[in-house]
Amino acid sequence: MSGTHSSLPAPIARVWEPLRERSRSKRALLLMAPLLVFELLLFVAPFLILLRISLTSGSQDLRYAAGTWSLEGYAEVLSSGVLQDAILYSFKLGLIATGITVSIAVFYAYAIWRAEGAIKSALLFSVILPLLTTLVVKTYAFRPLLSPTGTVNDLLLSLNLVSEPIQFVPGTIGVIVGQVYIVLPYAVLAIYSVLSTMDWGIVEAARDLGASRPRSVLEIVVPQAMPGIIVATVISFAWSVGAYAAPGLLASQRVPFAIEVEKRLLSNLQWEIATAYAVIMLLLMAASIGVLTVTLNRFGGEFEYA
Amino acid sequence: MSEITLDGLAKRYGEELAVEDVSVTIDDGELLCLLGPSGSGKSTTLRMLAGLETPTDGEIRIDDEDVTDRPAYERTTATVFQDWALFPHKSVLENVAFGLKMQGVGKEERRERAREMLERVRMTDHADDDPMNLSGGQKQRVALARSLAVNPDVLLLDEPLSNLDKRLSEDMQIELREIHAELEETFVHVTHDQDEAFTLADRIGIMADGNLVQVGEPNEVYQNPKNRFIEGFLGDTNFVEGVVDRTSPDAVRVETELGREVVVPTSNPDALDAGDAVSLSLRPEALSIESADAGLEADEAGQPVRTDGSTTNSVVGTVESVLYRGSTVRYSVAVEGTSVFAERTVSDSGEFETGDEIRISWDGADVLAFRDDGSRVDL
Repeated sequence: MSGTHSSLPAPIARVWEPLRERSRSKRALLLMAPLLVFELLLFVAPFLILLRISLTSGSQDLRYAAGTWSLEGYAEVLSSGVLQDAILYSFKLGLIATGITVSIAVFYAYAIWRAEGAIKSALLFSVILPLLTTLVVKTYAFRPLLSPTGTVNDLLLSLNLVSEPIQFVPGTIGVIVGQVYIVLPYAVLAIYSVLSTMDWGIVEAARDLGASRPRSVLEIVVPQAMPGIIVATVISFAWSVGAYAAPGLLASQRVPFAIEVEKRLLSNLQWEIATAYAVIMLLLMAASIGVLTVTLNRFGGEFEYA
Repeated sequence: MSEITLDGLAKRYGEELAVEDVSVTIDDGELLCLLGPSGSGKSTTLRMLAGLETPTDGEIRIDDEDVTDRPAYERTTATVFQDWALFPHKSVLENVAFGLKMQGVGKEERRERAREMLERVRMTDHADDDPMNLSGGQKQRVALARSLAVNPDVLLLDEPLSNLDKRLSEDMQIELREIHAELEETFVHVTHDQDEAFTLADRIGIMADGNLVQVGEPNEVYQNPKNRFIEGFLGDTNFVEGVVDRTSPDAVRVETELGREVVVPTSNPDALDAGDAVSLSLRPEALSIESADAGLEADEAGQPVRTDGSTTNSVVGTVESVLYRGSTVRYSVAVEGTSVFAERTVSDSGEFETGDEIRISWDGADVLAFRDDGSRVDL
């Protein structure tokens, strides 16, 4: 994005630039108008308000001191060990959950793509099924499953695999399991939508030329599915780093960024800190998604293993 | 360089029979064309050879080694696919080098060898292009180079020319022949196009309903088709239905729907009995046409006699339509209740028009006869 529109906020520029390139007619702009208004009202305007609040100073009895200018919030974020620790924890959760989610999703999408008839429908339906249940209920369901007295531990104990129960929940493992479960359907659908347009013939061609089954997946299927894998990664990562429901229901003492923000907003009433925290997090997210996308894109073409 | 043996090869998909029984030995260095209409099982046979389908029954041997259960990537075959199946995310050069990469050939060497292959198919200029931006003919060349690059024992071609226009396809046929002559490798080429098969093949295998009906040199299968299906499939011909009236030691007389008796000379009068139903094939190239009143008289038996005294079969009919087909003109002629077509080269003078009365005549020795069940009568 360059030229006169570089000053536009990213979401608008993202919508505007391709439009400008594809069509110079006003009609395209007119068609996009509802979306632009939507973005403006529900993203850009609130974000500007948030940005303004992050630049105020704190107040003893109010949420923030309106009308003041100060960098207090940012200073607090940059010096507070607690806040930085939450950011690190968020990214750790995000990376692990994304890695697990995308790996499972690639295999699952491949299975749907290759399946036929009733099996294909069953596989597709079982991806969509969890989306029909509310997030809180399905996430909360992991507590009786994964708690020290839960089903999984009962099973492990009765099989003599462990001598005493493991505390998956509350804890990091529980949060990751819950988060993977939340984002997996979206990741599977993103990858499957790309795979479904792919020609099986080119996989056969690769095998015919001597590529073993795993090799043909690695050389042909993965690079072809890369646009879907990138979408799946970005969805999983952004959602997991900013996760609120799974950590809220399944985490122990260590909490990620979203829970910390909630505490500052609702309990501590330190809005200047909470908003500054959010702005910094947004920048970090944008940067890391950029890095992820560029890295993954390199694997879309020819690449070497040895 | 390999001899391939197919022995009782069959493929069923559930209840559906794709290939019933294919047995043939393909000689080392031979170019065999599997020719048949769509659904005849020729592509399935080729896919079994490639290892992309597992036979339900039968055996495949390459150089006396049973490869029936070997997956495609462990076979020394390479396939050129109908839609070419180029890897869209790889450059032309990377496509061609792919097989060598799978063989573990180092980067520099495989790129060099891929370049040589591209040179052979005259695609060097496009080495760094995106294969999706190439024309059909160019894609075809790249697919060919990609398959040849692995130096396969057998090259399998699955209708690779069927998506090209006629002119391009004919150029490619000649080029394929040249490449085959140069490499002396075994080629198996699947096609539904008779002209393509006749141009390319050392031998043609004709498939129908999952069976290999006849295998032979192009000339042989054309001159000596085993059954009515092959006669009809290999070229346009007139089938005339009839019933044997009587046989004599040197000829069979057939009462036909042309409204007159057709005399077919035979050295095997016992092949047919009076009353047998037969179809006679009158190929357009065996028919000559002239004005209805041109130099013919009837002898005592009612057989027309040329002014030079030779007897001949002939019928008179009315031109129904005239079809210009480039170098030839096709006349469709109404004779009694049926219709017969004959062809002439455009340069032949004396063109006829719709409504003209013309005489169609032929040499009885050029007629092929088939029984009710489609089998050929050995005359």
